[in-house]
Amino acid sequence: MKIIEVNKLPSALALNLGALRSSSKRPGVVEALPEVTYVRPRVVVDAKRVAAYAKVCGFSKAHGVPMLFPHLDAFPLAMMLFGSRRFPFPAMGLVHLANSAKLLQRIHVDDVLRIEVRTGELVAHDKGQAFTLHARALRDGDVVWESTWTLLRLGVRQPRGEPYTSQLIDERPLSHQADFYAGASIGRSYGRVSGDINPIHLSALTAKFLGFRKAIAHGMWTKARALATLMPREAVAQAEVVVEFKTPLFLPARASLWAIRSEDGALFEVRNAKGDKPHLRGRVTY
Amino acid sequence: MNTTVRRVAIIGGNRIPFARSNTVYSNVSNQEMLTATLQGLADRFNLHGQRLGDVAAGAVMKHSRDFNLVRESVLSTTLAPETPAYDLQQACGTGLEAIMLVANKIALGHIECGIGGGVDTTSDAPIGINEKMRKILMEANRAKGTMAQLKVMSQIRPSMLMKPAIPKNGEPRTGFSMGEHAELMAREWGIPREEQDQLAVASHANLARAYKDGFFADLITPFKGVSKDNNLREGLSIEKLRTLKPCFDKKVAPGQGTLTPGNSTPLTDGASAVLLGSEEWARANNLPVLAYITFSEVAAVDFFNKKEGLLMAPAYAVPRMLDRAGIKLQDFDFYEIHEAFAAQVLCTLKAWEDAKYCKERLGLDQPLGSIDRSKLNINGSSLAAGHPFAATGGRIVASLAKMLAQKGSGRGLISICAAGGQGVVAILER
Repeated sequence: MKIIEVNKLPSALALNLGALRSSSKRPGVVEALPEVTYVRPRVVVDAKRVAAYAKVCGFSKAHGVPMLFPHLDAFPLAMMLFGSRRFPFPAMGLVHLANSAKLLQRIHVDDVLRIEVRTGELVAHDKGQAFTLHARALRDGDVVWESTWTLLRLGVRQPRGEPYTSQLIDERPLSHQADFYAGASIGRSYGRVSGDINPIHLSALTAKFLGFRKAIAHGMWTKARALATLMPREAVAQAEVVVEFKTPLFLPARASLWAIRSEDGALFEVRNAKGDKPHLRGRVTY
Repeated sequence: MNTTVRRVAIIGGNRIPFARSNTVYSNVSNQEMLTATLQGLADRFNLHGQRLGDVAAGAVMKHSRDFNLVRESVLSTTLAPETPAYDLQQACGTGLEAIMLVANKIALGHIECGIGGGVDTTSDAPIGINEKMRKILMEANRAKGTMAQLKVMSQIRPSMLMKPAIPKNGEPRTGFSMGEHAELMAREWGIPREEQDQLAVASHANLARAYKDGFFADLITPFKGVSKDNNLREGLSIEKLRTLKPCFDKKVAPGQGTLTPGNSTPLTDGASAVLLGSEEWARANNLPVLAYITFSEVAAVDFFNKKEGLLMAPAYAVPRMLDRAGIKLQDFDFYEIHEAFAAQVLCTLKAWEDAKYCKERLGLDQPLGSIDRSKLNINGSSLAAGHPFAATGGRIVASLAKMLAQKGSGRGLISICAAGGQGVVAILER
């Protein structure tokens, strides 16, 4: 396992240019992912950034540091991985299939975290080659947060690895809970906070260059927006959320939140305004 | 003093179809609706020119001009104008309470027959002028001389014209609407939305079937071109109910609401009345007896200081009544529980099954237990028919009496919750 320490992050622009340049990769058949871990040994949970993130995702002050926040610090490491030569796939065109995150201990503003992102496994998917990345946040040596990202490279004909299975098979019926509005500028706002300035999120024009008729919302924003409504209005010490992304949310849009609740969580979907097509499906427990 | 207590017979009932507010009864007053209902009852049982012992009814939403609402309505029917009448108000408990009061007089031998009922409209709402302006006008009325009057009137500001006093469907003490209180109850008792939606589907399905079976043929008189409760959605599916958004969640459970317009009763207009009499009077007038009122109970809860659920009072009333009657919760053939909100019904049923609640709040050694759900609201209830506040009591009593008559024998439980943390319950038997 190769460990790469990153003490100063490249700028968001540099990360994205790196991702763009990676389009020239021609991997051929990939039998396994390289074993590499990127590490940011010292990241401070910044109050201003937490507030900006909470504002754009709809969390209130009562929620404390939202449980998805460490993703923002882990994401640049993933971008570095995609841009690097050792990683086989081009970054452009990767589809974010699923994202699971687990909070093990409460995170506070001004906590000093060690962020790690390591390559996971190959997963065989109907539509191509999927793979996982695992992220962790540690505080004083204890793991406070973990996350697994499942991404898909389309078009690979004989993918390797265990077959992809959904963790969200559940027949229970969902009821309409709330509506929310995703404005045309939400991709820019969230991009500014998260550093994910993939042009498909930023404007209709830039999205068109990459094959989308309008800008699409960041999946992680939609996930956070749903959690802002579902999570209890207090800072939690443990929580787990698993999400599978379905259809793109074209901006601007009105989306509806559907859920069935139990005492300790909810099964939910973010659907279109009419309520018949899901943008994402998830389960949260707290 | 004569102290023999007689059995009180329910001879029959009448109501007009209930309509969602601001639809077909938008321009109809309480008095018009109640008059039509009473007249329909008089027509059905040939009471023309008869002097009844008492007519007791009420309206929750009442104009100040309707201070003698029931008496004025009686005078507009073909009942003998020598029939006394009075108004009473106990929020949604009005109808059943009115029936009980008439029944009590009959039981004690004070009267031979009477009518109890209720009416309500939220379309024809009593709006008052702005309170500040009202006080100015009263002051002007007291002022002596034109100059003094003008001086007082000059205090009126245009903004006062734009802010009338509007009746609010909320608890004065807590500032929450009834729906918000019910949402709090649903959260306290953990009643899932799916269960509430299922109860709503059943209510509509049962009411639709009852109409098809002709159950209401001799219980409803058409009014203003309407012959069926217009809130009824035939073939309402659970899928449709799932698409509705929670409507009482904003203040009390943001984003986590379970009460929707589909599993809560809508604001409704309508009226109902029930004819009661002693057995001798019924026999003398050749009138059939559907059932008898045997027990009743009222309860109130401290929803403000002790934070008991606003609509939990029936949960307290029923065990007290069962104790007096010497029977168990399961000893009924029919349960008519007013569906103010599906959540209210389900909270009440869950409370009766809960050993801790029964012991700590109701003072019972054993929980009351579960009821047979297949006997609950079998001909539909308020979620489907709608709920003109004071008219629900009469609707339920008449329907249940007929159900007992159709069965031939049996016992039915009525449970109605009311604003202000009260509840009225009764037992009908045959």
